[in-house]
Amino acid sequence: MRLLRLTATTIVLLVWLGAALAVLQSFITAEPPIRFGASLVAHVTGMAAGYGAAVMLILMSRSPWLERGIGTHRLARWHGWGGLLVIMLTVVHALAAVQVWSQAASIRLPAALRDLLNIPGLTTALVGTVILTLVGLASLRVVRRHISYERWHFLHLLTYLAVAFGFAHQLAGADFAGRQWLQIAWSLLYMYAFALVLRWRVLQPLFQLWRHRLRVEEIRQESPDVVSVLMSGHHLDELRAEPGQFFRWRFLTTTTWASAYPFSLSAAPTCNRLRITVKARGAGTKRIFSIPVGTLVFAEGPYGVLTSRRRRRPRVLLIAGGVGITPMRALFEVIDLPGKDVTLVYRASCEQDLVFKDELDEIAEKSGARIVYLVGPSTETANDMSAPALNRIVGDLHDHDVYLCASPRLAARVRASLMDRGFPRHQLHEERFSF
Amino acid sequence: MSDTTLDYRRPIPHITRSSLAASPSLVRWSLRIVTVLIFAAATAFGVSVGMGAPETSPTSLVQQNTAPMNP
Repeated sequence: MRLLRLTATTIVLLVWLGAALAVLQSFITAEPPIRFGASLVAHVTGMAAGYGAAVMLILMSRSPWLERGIGTHRLARWHGWGGLLVIMLTVVHALAAVQVWSQAASIRLPAALRDLLNIPGLTTALVGTVILTLVGLASLRVVRRHISYERWHFLHLLTYLAVAFGFAHQLAGADFAGRQWLQIAWSLLYMYAFALVLRWRVLQPLFQLWRHRLRVEEIRQESPDVVSVLMSGHHLDELRAEPGQFFRWRFLTTTTWASAYPFSLSAAPTCNRLRITVKARGAGTKRIFSIPVGTLVFAEGPYGVLTSRRRRRPRVLLIAGGVGITPMRALFEVIDLPGKDVTLVYRASCEQDLVFKDELDEIAEKSGARIVYLVGPSTETANDMSAPALNRIVGDLHDHDVYLCASPRLAARVRASLMDRGFPRHQLHEERFSF
Repeated sequence: MSDTTLDYRRPIPHITRSSLAASPSLVRWSLRIVTVLIFAAATAFGVSVGMGAPETSPTSLVQQNTAPMNP
């Protein structure tokens, strides 16, 4: 955990140091005396946005040192607010630049915009800005709710194009032009960011497809709206996947190849089999229910830090809500503690929603671990999942590592209650993903 | 609509065989070499692009021709 904090802290410090240098460069190029105005705003926001875009590419490159050291959900959180910041800086930069041009040439804003678009590289930069703005709007929670995951994902992929469009404009910008060593450094920053993306987001999954030749072996109905997908392949031990981790799965059929879905392993991986479990949440996930047996699977991963390696305390509490049972089911199978002090609290709204009940009971019987099923409305006292209620279930909650995977609302409630009661943050392990 | 798999109906035999037969250490080293090559190419391309970047900003060029003020 110390190493994790150090790694995350180091990366944050490096990112801010780079940002400070980028902003400093815009002050260096400004002609003295430096006055606060639209010109300075355009330069500073332009440099910060350009730098931020490259950082966002690196953070989402799926590089193992970032994924394992920082964790997917923290990276996604950084990307969430960092991406928004980059978009806002880009828009402010564009507006400030038009304003400066309008003032300098003593013309109206529309005429200034027309002038600027005639300059080489600025039309593509504008297209990039429009794409980034659309992605930002689509990612707002209120809009995101009305867009399917597939459309949102496709739109999100266009950000690579937007960043590439902006790059040419940046190199020719007033802050860089004539400073060759800076242009080389900036160019290298972008090339390395794209190299990381190419290596880990494109070549790695292609290599895994070639090496492991993962195929759907069986689709097993677990409940009316939940299926398990069993996949077989070769040399799967080389993936070094651990229970609790997830992959981004792309099933190569005519209707599903374009979407990559993040799903956790729902059973401990073996050298030739993997299993995931999927709940129908929309048209995309529903299509997975009818994937033909034999379908090739393009898998990116493994990702995530929700593994037994994170355990620090002698006792473990696994908390699962609904289909959040999938990584917990895999962990429950492998966490083996002296004294068998493992408790699984599994929350579901009705009996029918309890998937893997037979498997879980069998594991518990073999390992001596305990399962507590909380079934029914959350308003019932018996289904309380606050810290005091969990403490009553396991006794001495602070002596446990808590692993949590549930719907965003339930996870937030449990997390808040644990933190309110002073539960140590580093003993809470969770992986959050939502479509 | 029924779904159909996108598949290589006739896999190229030697590619298929090599994916299964290659030893883990050979695969690991091949991937390391590929990584080094990607970053070497990125370095060469990055330096080349940086060196070929304009010495004068097009905005300042146009600015000089259209207005006396430098924003």
